[in-house]
Parts: sequence; C-alpha cells; structure tokens
Amino acid sequence: MDEQQLVARVRAGDARAERALYEEHVDRVYRLAYRMAGDDDLAREFAQETFIRVFDRIGQFRGEAALGTWIRSIATSVVLNGLRKVKRFRQREVDLEIARSAGGSQRQAEPDLKEKLGRAIDALPNKYRMVFVMHDVEGYTHQEISEQLGMQLGTSKAQLSRARARLRESLAEFAGEWAS
Amino acid sequence: MTEERFQEFLRAEAQRYNEPPETPTDEMWRGIQAERAARDGRRWPQRWHHRAVRSPWVRWGVGIAAALVVGIGIGRFTGQGMPGGTQMAADSAQLEAESAPSPYRWVAAEHLGQVETFLTGFQVDARAGVPVRYTAGPAQQLLSTTRLLLDSPASEDAQMRTLLEDVELVLAQIAQLQGGQGEAGEEELELIDDNIDQRSVLLRLQTAMTAEAGVAGGQGAL
Repeated sequence: MDEQQLVARVRAGDARAERALYEEHVDRVYRLAYRMAGDDDLAREFAQETFIRVFDRIGQFRGEAALGTWIRSIATSVVLNGLRKVKRFRQREVDLEIARSAGGSQRQAEPDLKEKLGRAIDALPNKYRMVFVMHDVEGYTHQEISEQLGMQLGTSKAQLSRARARLRESLAEFAGEWAS
Repeated sequence: MTEERFQEFLRAEAQRYNEPPETPTDEMWRGIQAERAARDGRRWPQRWHHRAVRSPWVRWGVGIAAALVVGIGIGRFTGQGMPGGTQMAADSAQLEAESAPSPYRWVAAEHLGQVETFLTGFQVDARAGVPVRYTAGPAQQLLSTTRLLLDSPASEDAQMRTLLEDVELVLAQIAQLQGGQGEAGEEELELIDDNIDQRSVLLRLQTAMTAEAGVAGGQGAL
C-alpha cells in the first residue's frame, strides 16, 4: 500500500491503516521527543499528542510534502510548545536544587565531558537545540529540518552554526579532546 | 581543520545525549486510543448528524439571544413606562424598577455565566492541545451579545463595563481563530490563554456573578 492509499484509508476511518501509519512513523517521532525532553513520560506524552493530532487533522494533509515530513512538523510543534510549558516548572525545580546545595558543604566533583556536554546542550535555546539534535544527533538533513520546522534552509544552517559555537565555548576546557 | 574535528567530536559525543530507550510502541498506541476516545466523548456526546443542532454552543447562542431580546424588551418596557397604561401601573413599574435588579443586569448576569463556562472550557481544551476550531462560532455569538450589553444600561456600572470590555477583547481573539493549529495557532492560543489569566477574566466573572446573585437573592426578584 503506498502513502496515498494509506492516507485515504486513514481518512476513511480504517483502524488498521491508522495503526500501520503509526508504526511507520512512531520511532522517529518518539526518538526526537525523547532527545528533546530527556524524560520518558514527557516523550510519550509528546509522541502520543502528535499522533492524536495527526489523526485529527489527516483531512488537512494535502500531500504537498511527504507524510513523514508533515507528521514530524506536527511533532516538532508539539515538542517545542510542550517544552515551553514545562520550562517554568523545571526552573522551579532547579532553583530548589540550587537552594538545597547552597546550604551543604559537600564539594561537587568536576563534571566529566558527557555531563558537561549534556548540560551545555540543555542550556541551548530550544529552537537551536532542536536543530542541533535533529542534525548532529538524529541525522536529519537541513532540507528536512527546514521543512519540518517551517524555516528557511539558511536559517537551519545558521542556527546549527550558532548552536555549535555555543557548545564549543562551553566545552573549551576539553579542547584537547578534539585537537589531538 | 580544528573546526571539522570539533564537529566530528561533537557528533560522536552527542549521540549519548538523552539517548532514547526502545520505543514503547504498544503502550503509546493504547494511550492514543484511550485519549482519542475520551476527547471524542467530550466533544461529541451526540451522533454526528445531530452535532450542529445539539451543539451546546449553538444552544447557548440561541438561549442568550432570546434572553437578551426578552431582557431588553422588559427593560424598555419598565424604563419608558407602559404606553397606554394607567398612571398607577406606571408608578408601580417605576417602583419595581427601583427596587429590583434591572432586566439588563439580569441578562448581563446570565450572559457572564455563559461566558465563564465557555472560557473555562476553552482554557481546558487549549491547554490540553485539543483543537479549538469549533469555538470560533460560539465566541462570535457571545461577542455579539457582549457588544449589545456594552451599548445597554448594563454597562453604566464602571466595573461591569470594564469587565465586558475585557470579555469583548478575549472573545474577539477567539472568534478570529482559524482552526489551524500549526505553531502560529499554538502561539495564538497561548496568547489568549495568557490574556484570560493576566486580566483575571474568569475570577472577575465569578465575582460579578456572585454579586449579581447576591442582589437578586437579597431582593427576592430572581
């Protein structure tokens, strides 16, 4: 069954076609959601919401882009909006953690490269982080990124470049790792 | 050269960033099915062919319009006296108008109740990410009523006027929603949601309704 037939069957309410569409695309959606959320519950929530919207709006899919591109553009929108909503909540958690650690005398060990890189990526603005994760981690092309995030190709490249520059700055103390 | 090496290094190291576990395909599918069923149940408790007729928004619109017409009619009737009536009847009507809440206020209270229910539902749906394309019509109906009330003596009270103006703004924003929920749609929803919160619209609606109920209850008019 090709993509057009699959979409037609989903529009007609065929439950098996819905499941087939879901299975075809769920991995990439969940992986991206997890990379961005760093949390299983949140990633599941984002992935589920994505497919709920996909089925709800399948009538609006006009086939101008590939189905996968359309689905992942919904996913990136769900993820970015969802992350914005949890940001304030997470900031409160971080503040509490800082307040707690400020009272103790225990010295923190120096973070290793993995930890430092993780923190540096987390600290990127979400749109830069999304482009970085999609390109450097999940292997999307700039063409795919620009279509899915609704931006110009050049914007995708510029954001990736800025993200990398920020990471390089944050990881300056580990410069020997890539210079050698 | 160093830049290329850095990029290679970054790509290799970043593979460990938030490394996803195996996709919980079946569990998520069950979650999707359950959520869709729940949302369908909430949105369309009736069969499809009865949707438009039985939609609560349509019923509200009709109810509000009817209440407003009756209310304004009564208001004009009591406010201007009864044409061709006796002086005694006119005096009686005037006394009643002075001692009971005006029909305008009664209609306003009814309307604010409908707006409060509508906006509460809208906020819940917007925050849950439920598509809100079906809300523009009802918002338009409520908006028309709000504007009628703004032009009526109900808005002579400064607090009521400010509240109606804020309600008008929020309803106008909702009425303009096109139903597409791309990123721009999400942002629009969030803006409206923030507007409702920042202006404390729901809280003020509840306070206003309580006040109106107090007036009505105290005077035994409603």
